[in-house]
Amino acid sequence: MDLELFERDRHVTFLQMMYQLLPSPYQSQEINRLTLAYFVISGLDLLNSLDRLVDKDAVATWVLSLQAHPRSTAELNNGQFYGFHGSRAAQFPPENNDNGALNPSVSNLASTYCALALLKIVGYNLSSIDSESILTSMRNLQQPDGSFMPIHTGAETDLRFVYCAVAICHMLGNWSGMDKEKAKEYILKCQSYDGGFGLVPGSESHGGATYCGVTSLRLMGFIEDEILSKNAPSSIIDVPLLLDWCVQRQAADGGFQGRPNKPSDTCYAFWIASVLKILGGHKFIDKKALHGFLLTCQSEYGGFSKFPGQLPDLYHSYYGLTAFSLLEEPGLNSLCVELGMTAIAAMGISLDSPSYLLAL
Amino acid sequence: MHGRPRKSPTREDEAASAATGKNLGFLQSQLLYNHHKKIYNEEALDLSAKTLQINPDLYTAWNYRRLAVQHKLAAAHPEFNSIFDPELRLVESALRTNPKAYGAWYHREWVLRRLSKARSSSSSYLNDYLDHELQLLETLLKHDSRNFHAWNHRRFVAALFNTSDQEELKFTNEMIQDNQDNLSNYSMWHHRRVLLSGLLKKKAQGFSSKEKVLHDEYQLVDGAIVAGTEDQSGWFYHLSLLEQTVNMDAPFLVSSWPSHGSNVLLSRNRCSDDCSLSQFDSFHSSSGTFPLILYFTKAVQGVNSSTITIESSFCTKNDLHWTPLMQNRSQFSQAWVTHIIFPAARPHSSEPYLLEISVGQSQGIISRNGFPYSHPTQFNFKVRLCLGKTERGEVEDLDGDIILWKDENFHALQTKSQEPHEAVSFDQLIINDVHEPNTSNWRAAIVANEIDFFQTLLFYKIGILTLARLLTAKNVLLSRCTNKTVHSKVLELYKDLIKLDPLHSQYYKDQHSIVFLQEVTSNRESLQRHCCSYKNFASASIGNYKCVRLNNISLSRMGSVEKLLWVSMLDLSHNELCSIEGLEAMQLLSCLNLSVNKFSGFSALGPLRLLKSLEVLNISYNEIGLHTTDTARYLCSSPLSHTEETSWNCDEIVPGGVSVMNYWEAFLIFKSLRLTQLDIAGNAIAGENFKSFLVKVVPSLQWLDGDKLR
Repeated sequence: MDLELFERDRHVTFLQMMYQLLPSPYQSQEINRLTLAYFVISGLDLLNSLDRLVDKDAVATWVLSLQAHPRSTAELNNGQFYGFHGSRAAQFPPENNDNGALNPSVSNLASTYCALALLKIVGYNLSSIDSESILTSMRNLQQPDGSFMPIHTGAETDLRFVYCAVAICHMLGNWSGMDKEKAKEYILKCQSYDGGFGLVPGSESHGGATYCGVTSLRLMGFIEDEILSKNAPSSIIDVPLLLDWCVQRQAADGGFQGRPNKPSDTCYAFWIASVLKILGGHKFIDKKALHGFLLTCQSEYGGFSKFPGQLPDLYHSYYGLTAFSLLEEPGLNSLCVELGMTAIAAMGISLDSPSYLLAL
Repeated sequence: MHGRPRKSPTREDEAASAATGKNLGFLQSQLLYNHHKKIYNEEALDLSAKTLQINPDLYTAWNYRRLAVQHKLAAAHPEFNSIFDPELRLVESALRTNPKAYGAWYHREWVLRRLSKARSSSSSYLNDYLDHELQLLETLLKHDSRNFHAWNHRRFVAALFNTSDQEELKFTNEMIQDNQDNLSNYSMWHHRRVLLSGLLKKKAQGFSSKEKVLHDEYQLVDGAIVAGTEDQSGWFYHLSLLEQTVNMDAPFLVSSWPSHGSNVLLSRNRCSDDCSLSQFDSFHSSSGTFPLILYFTKAVQGVNSSTITIESSFCTKNDLHWTPLMQNRSQFSQAWVTHIIFPAARPHSSEPYLLEISVGQSQGIISRNGFPYSHPTQFNFKVRLCLGKTERGEVEDLDGDIILWKDENFHALQTKSQEPHEAVSFDQLIINDVHEPNTSNWRAAIVANEIDFFQTLLFYKIGILTLARLLTAKNVLLSRCTNKTVHSKVLELYKDLIKLDPLHSQYYKDQHSIVFLQEVTSNRESLQRHCCSYKNFASASIGNYKCVRLNNISLSRMGSVEKLLWVSMLDLSHNELCSIEGLEAMQLLSCLNLSVNKFSGFSALGPLRLLKSLEVLNISYNEIGLHTTDTARYLCSSPLSHTEETSWNCDEIVPGGVSVMNYWEAFLIFKSLRLTQLDIAGNAIAGENFKSFLVKVVPSLQWLDGDKLR
């Protein structure tokens, strides 16, 4: 079925179904339940349906139950990371007799980012959580080259986890969890000769890595909003090459590809259009063509698929919605691309506070 | 990025995955139990292997495997082969399920690192492992030649086993020879580019001449382009070669105000006509200082009183403070300014003062990439103090007259002869000391050669784009020694592209605007067509503006400001601008018309904050406040802004607090300006609330949307 319009109500139904029951294909990702929940809840927020469909207090309580807490100050400094667990299954009950040996239960940076984002989206006041243990223990994850590993027991380090760490510090309003200068140096090393960013220094430019690099620099305040209007030559990144690279990622079918010569994929409409937005290069997107491509990935059941005509999945559905928000689709809340949530959630304004009324 | 399903399931998959889902749930809970209890026996390890074969993205399981390896290594006489080999095999089978499983690739690198450490003494043993890795990579790259995990692993393996860059380069050569399809593999080109940069930097044997290396690469990629004209990879590689060919590393000075050889008449007020014969060389300032602006090819830092020396008989103090004209904290800028105090009045002498400026005599100016300013430049100009009747200030109030941007108030420059009007300031600064004269020749030769080649490929959009860039590159190389440049052909090519490739038309429009402005400012004759004088006959005031009109010419981007530093009145109305990047260098600007353009927010007007002489601004009929995406940005701009240190008390400025956040960026712009006249009508934001906000924030304002205030 060819849909010619953005089917807002079908997307609400699709996410509502996901909210009630995560279907079986995702059971293999049981470990990443927080990430899946982030896609669902933030998606419903973009669709302006959060208040109607989601029990915000229940979400906040569930998310908070996944936080890892050190049992003592000594334990806080034992090299472990105390963030959020991806799901209940990844959580171990506290042991009584391990005599300081490392608890094999590990929380990771990506789940922690998703947990804090979720809390912000449901309007939970982040100043009331134990941010000290997150930030203090997060320092153990930063490597001498400035990059981050996602868990303290060791894993690959790349720009994805730099972004998670940066977004965590930004949401908590506290940069003591990382060495910003070192992170900056690492990100700059990831900008390739063609203007895009690779996940690690020397690797091929990639849409997702470019998003992580640019938004991290922006959240840390090392680059300005709308650099294209403000001294692009004096910026710490090569802006003209980055713009060239991003603009050329819009392919002939109107969608965005993650790398040269790859097929267009729904999610890159978010990763790359977000970078263009931060640069102030929104006008370089052929919005009509992108709109057309995204509609070919829209499912008749609601949601979006990766490539045209396939079945939808949660990941691409969420990024399809964010892309439509960037295209100013009526009925969608506007997006804070830097943090990956609605602008109102990013402001941290709860609906009954006077500052929200001021912002209207 | 996080936890993304690698492919969306098909209908047939679904039933199967429901079953595995159940099974997987059991395996996972068993695994977590073993992990928790630190059980590392064969049965437990088998279970973790089964789990990973089904779900290679399960980080916890890989962590468990590493703890098990460490447990075994801690034994008295560890059997390395029996510890490491099963891990490598497990990764291979996990990669068969998902060749992009981050956890699996990391596990392999972790094992290989330990393995090479444990067996570093036995190199033949290690060679077997190297061969095995290369074979594995060959299989995986055959399956998906763009798998970036595999390419990254290749670079990891080369570094771990000390494979030389030359060997790796040979590998890419063989890839092309084996299968011409690989010419369209951008990952392969990327691998090549990274290796070549390293070899050139090290000046490795056979790679000491950049000229030769680039020559060979052009040959190779030109072949790829002919083989697949619709293919992006070769074209993008070509563009990156061109960047390397043309880009001169060292920064140098391109222009200044006052310009080389000019005479400037200084006065404290707008001088009446009898002050000078040529009003276009005059400058007035009530503060008694004039700016000295330097404009470089690249953003530089280190511009100060020791790198820039000024010799003159009046400006003896050499402790001038230099300011970068930019809004971030990077301390790198293309344009720098200092302010020099007027010479003392000498009533009985009209002798001008000569100023000699030396740039870069002592080291310290460096570009963003760390390249020093290595070609010291000197230029000079003269200043004379005007002692007109206006010295007492009796005509001050004339400044209160409104500026009307009407065609009838702008007058073409009268020229008595065929000679260009000398009022048009044209920067004569030409760096005669051509940099690296030997290398410029081969650069020009390569560019000329490629231009010939691409003339034959104009049926393809990227062929046209590449030719346009090659011709632009030729202009850049030419402009280093002469002012003779050719732009008309490039403009035609961009016009063709706008039609041929509407998807990227905005980008081509920007490029067209840049080249168009280069053409306008490339010589005095063409520039003069856009110069005029301003005189409002209904008003008593004396215009005396150095005026340039670039209105109604479909500009989507500003450029060539280095040639317009002398302009004090600029009309950019009726264009398609949404950015004025670079305009901050035009420090003499006092009147600016941006009406009927496409500005959608105040953030894009940021450069205005650095224009301290700006008094008259017209931003009417734009799109400020129209777009929801931009409104969202206002919402986020204050919490995301780390560079602003401004006390902003909204209660004080906007009683009632309506739309406070929307005004935040407007506040940042306007509070730093001393505007006397502002036009803002025709924007979504310009309601009564906003206007009363403006009146409070800009106390100097006398005219708002054509209405006299107070």
